[in-house]
Amino acid sequence: MTTASALRPLEATTGIEPIVAWRTWALTGHRDGTNLLLRPVAGRSRPWRPMQVAEAGCKHTRMHSSPSVDCTCGLHGTHGLDLLRRTRCPAVLGRVALWGRVIEHDHGYRAQFAYPQLIALICQFCFWQWGSHAPSPDIVGWFPRDALVPLCWGHLELAQRYGMEPRRLLPADEVGLALREAYAVDQLIHW
Amino acid sequence: MDIGRPQRIIEIEPVSLPLPSPDLPSYEPATEPAPDPNPVEPVDP
Repeated sequence: MTTASALRPLEATTGIEPIVAWRTWALTGHRDGTNLLLRPVAGRSRPWRPMQVAEAGCKHTRMHSSPSVDCTCGLHGTHGLDLLRRTRCPAVLGRVALWGRVIEHDHGYRAQFAYPQLIALICQFCFWQWGSHAPSPDIVGWFPRDALVPLCWGHLELAQRYGMEPRRLLPADEVGLALREAYAVDQLIHW
Repeated sequence: MDIGRPQRIIEIEPVSLPLPSPDLPSYEPATEPAPDPNPVEPVDP
């Protein structure tokens, strides 16, 4: 990826409509299900705060604006769902609006600004296995450091068997509703 | 996550931001009564 811009100049266009792409997030919140925050699944990047535009920044260097063609920085979105099935510990799947400076790649985008448009909680194990056919999660497990992990009953049992014991269980419907209300977005239904 | 090679750069300046707007004040109907659609014609004495 780093040499592409050196080999040939990229086409540059303009637009007035945000691009809508697929994305997954990690989820954090307090043990009572409050203070819900969408977070990038990778690294310890800044959370996407409710009702605020997420803005890209580069953690590698502050010497360039983000996204840069010769970097991997920016707010990521993908063309399709399959690529997201490889992401680490996704808790929320959604459609995200991207705008500002957007770099389109073979399989997705890196953008300067973003905000979620439609979201749904996902059981990460069901999503890895079945993708778009994954059933909705039943509960949300609360773990240390405020990590919230949506799970179906079957995968909760499996997780517990392997020592992944939530400190508290919250109803997935209630957490999903509170999350949508906090970000003022609708439920992702068909995916 | 590998999203492949960069293909093009798009500069997008949306006409309106895809961000939920803060709650608008509740609509208050005008207090002045609407005019009578069928006013009675005055009758000559």
